Amino acid sequence: MKPYLVTLTLALGATAASAEEMQIEGAYVPIAPPGVIAHAAYLALENTGDTTRSLIGVSANGYGMAHLHQSAESDGVATMSMIHQLDIAPRQTVKLQPGGFHIMLMRPNGPTAIGDTVPLTFTFANGAVINVDATIRHCDAGS
Amino acid sequence: MKRILSICALICAPIITSAQVQGVMLDTPVDLPDFTFSDENNAEYSNGDLTDKWTIIMIGFLTCPDVCPFTLGNLEAAVAETGMRVRPDNVPNVWFLSVDPDRDSEYVSEYAPFFHPDFRSMTGERDQIDAFIEATDGFYRLMPPDSTGYYEVQHSSAVSVIAPDGTLRAKLQPPFDPGLTAEFLARLQLTYRKEQSQ
Repeated sequence: MKPYLVTLTLALGATAASAEEMQIEGAYVPIAPPGVIAHAAYLALENTGDTTRSLIGVSANGYGMAHLHQSAESDGVATMSMIHQLDIAPRQTVKLQPGGFHIMLMRPNGPTAIGDTVPLTFTFANGAVINVDATIRHCDAGS
Repeated sequence: MKRILSICALICAPIITSAQVQGVMLDTPVDLPDFTFSDENNAEYSNGDLTDKWTIIMIGFLTCPDVCPFTLGNLEAAVAETGMRVRPDNVPNVWFLSVDPDRDSEYVSEYAPFFHPDFRSMTGERDQIDAFIEATDGFYRLMPPDSTGYYEVQHSSAVSVIAPDGTLRAKLQPPFDPGLTAEFLARLQLTYRKEQSQ
């Protein structure tokens, strides 16, 4: 029994350390027009560790579905595609911001309001799980 | 095709020289096809609503979480800036034309006013949308649905600038830097007035 306990403790310790090396900051969801069933969350993923971290999953409370997406523009055409893995290199920050990577939040359970929070859960390839609350606020586009 | 090529050349040129606005004034104005777009409250938007004022028309879809709201937010800032450089009656109206009537027609009117109370959003019959988009050199495509029935819409990100005579005069490409966009629109209006007075 003892070896198992030791293993478990080590595994938990590793996960905690890994999680600490990933910082998720500035998470927000621009308030969406009424009736719109697709919202977006933006934030910054900072890897303060020495190894590449891979974001492999996102979920959101209060929404039917959450996906990591990437908007792109090619020959003047705006496109969007689902991303299955987002790598954050050591000592790098990847910003999820309008026109690029974003968390797409589908089918809100109900109306949303300024100041509400959206609990987001991020899962990384090394097993680390990070919970972050995104705040719903006015979009500050263009200003 | 020739027109498309010359537009591209004009768009690309300013990018190379400096961080100018990514817009192009058309050498020859383009007539728009007859259309009557509408919203769920039976408000109608037709060619007649474009005359005697400037209008910026953007295309998109309401299920777009990222690019469309961001673009409308940027346009709001750009139009506000334009208001400081042109006469009040020359401040452009902004229309958001949904190319996804199947999903959007029931609540399309609420969308654009969310970004500015004077903005309007509408949709229409597929053939009229297609004719409008062809005339304005735009593009959109409904992508195949996934297992849940959800589908993406790809669409051109440029907006159309319509003059008070109801013709297409310019295309603007995001990002809509407020100052540069306002300058571009003021210059476009000056060119237009010169042409009208000749």
